[in-house]
Amino acid sequence: MRGEEVIASLKEFISDDTLIVSSNGNVSRQAYNFLPQPQVYLRGSMGLPMSIGLGLALAQPEKQVLVITGDGNFLMGLSSMTTIGNYKPPNLKIIILDNAIYATTGGQETVSSTVDYLKLLEGFGIQHYGSLNSIKSPSKLLEAFEILLTSKQTAVLHINVEEDIENLENIPWQPKEIKNKFMEKI
Amino acid sequence: MIKSIDILNYLSENNFELSTGVPCSYFKELLIELDKSADIQYIASTREDEAVGIACGYFLGKKNCFLIMQNSGLATIGDALTSLAQLYEIPLLIFVSYRGLEPDKTFPEHVIMGNVTEAVLDAYGIPNWNMKGENWRKILDKALERMNEDSSVVCILVEKGVII
Repeated sequence: MRGEEVIASLKEFISDDTLIVSSNGNVSRQAYNFLPQPQVYLRGSMGLPMSIGLGLALAQPEKQVLVITGDGNFLMGLSSMTTIGNYKPPNLKIIILDNAIYATTGGQETVSSTVDYLKLLEGFGIQHYGSLNSIKSPSKLLEAFEILLTSKQTAVLHINVEEDIENLENIPWQPKEIKNKFMEKI
Repeated sequence: MIKSIDILNYLSENNFELSTGVPCSYFKELLIELDKSADIQYIASTREDEAVGIACGYFLGKKNCFLIMQNSGLATIGDALTSLAQLYEIPLLIFVSYRGLEPDKTFPEHVIMGNVTEAVLDAYGIPNWNMKGENWRKILDKALERMNEDSSVVCILVEKGVII
């Protein structure tokens, strides 16, 4: 499955009480286009979606916070997973969409394929984690979402995805507008 | 000299419930008090830009978090400031230790950043105040007023021995 198909498949799991933080580039554009609005659509701050998700999860413990990030973004912010592994907010869930490239900037390879995500996440002290290859096993995706989003602990799901065919247009909302619309819904 | 507990009480009264950052020895006493605080939780970040991310996420969740870092961290947080906090107009209060001045003359690693600290803050467009002496509450009042009015990042510089 392509990254955008995986994001679109999340739709049925997203309720009004789900707060999504989506990483800059294609991931936030896909979240904007395929999932209920408004959410936190990052325009920049590469490497920080997990940290922003941590802060949001601490501020809103009654709501589910879902971070959706690409592999390049995740690897840039890797040390923040140590902090998340330490504080373990139970309402924080993270999905890593791993296409092994920097898709938004033209498809340059990341070094993600060298990482054993299960060992990595275990090493960070993440309590509940999994890895799924959506290219080989697309039928398992919805079950994996169910497990992730009903987990009572900090949970992370790594998903190997195929490269998207094209980049989507930029999100039309200005950043301040994104902030205001998002905060109005909480 | 300003007592750590007085600063934390002030911040708690101003609705700060979380703090995060990377330590500096100038903030040793403040961090000890934070550790004991029932009102303000401290999250130990691994990097200063991560701390900016946490504080921004906390604000988006409608709560207030302040930051603590050395001025060396000002070099690390450039993108987090310009493409997150400032771009989305998220108000942030950052306490920055002013390393590299006279007391640090035997710490050459701090000197270059010490020389450019205020220029760096000015370049980022961050209003900043050097907090010392008896009028510290007025300085923080002014900084918070500016932060809230403009939804902006503001910075409090702290020299050695000012917070005890």
